[in-house]
Amino acid sequence: MQLHRDRDKFDAAGVRLAVIGQGTPDHARDFQRSQHVDLPLYVDRTRDSYRLAGAKVGTLGELLGPAVVARGLRVSLRDRVRQGRTVGHPAQLGGVLIVKPDGSIPYVHLSDDASDVPPNNEVLAAARAAAEG
Amino acid sequence: MLGTASKRQGVHPPGSAEELAGSRVLDAEGREVALAELWRDRPAVLVWLRHYG
Repeated sequence: MQLHRDRDKFDAAGVRLAVIGQGTPDHARDFQRSQHVDLPLYVDRTRDSYRLAGAKVGTLGELLGPAVVARGLRVSLRDRVRQGRTVGHPAQLGGVLIVKPDGSIPYVHLSDDASDVPPNNEVLAAARAAAEG
Repeated sequence: MLGTASKRQGVHPPGSAEELAGSRVLDAEGREVALAELWRDRPAVLVWLRHYG
């Protein structure tokens, strides 16, 4: 998750950026400190919001398959992100939704495997379009 | 193993945020927040992480 690095661009677009994870508020604060993330962080202990967002639980291959691991390593090295210990359901996958004040959802990217994350520029372009329309 | 799905699942994005609006999460200080608050006054990019770690 590297969207926080473009926070100023999202702010300039008039769009709120928020992150939801598993675990407890303590985990969120630890993550904020260790990853230097200056964004509002939230926790969903029941994973209800994950389910409602349409995020899925992955298979073993979608978590640890060779192609998934290779892509994940490339992203980690490129973004200099260190994987910490797993908190919460280990097979839960995530995603990105853009929601407008009228409740419409003009952008969705739900992860198909553990390495599947959308490019920042794609999300930013969608966010700008959502703010304009 | 690891609570993984036994079969590959499809993703099912919501058509609107109507149901998602009622979902409640905790902020980093432990205060309960309705997700709808996040897009009440401007569009929101919501990122669901696999986990904080």
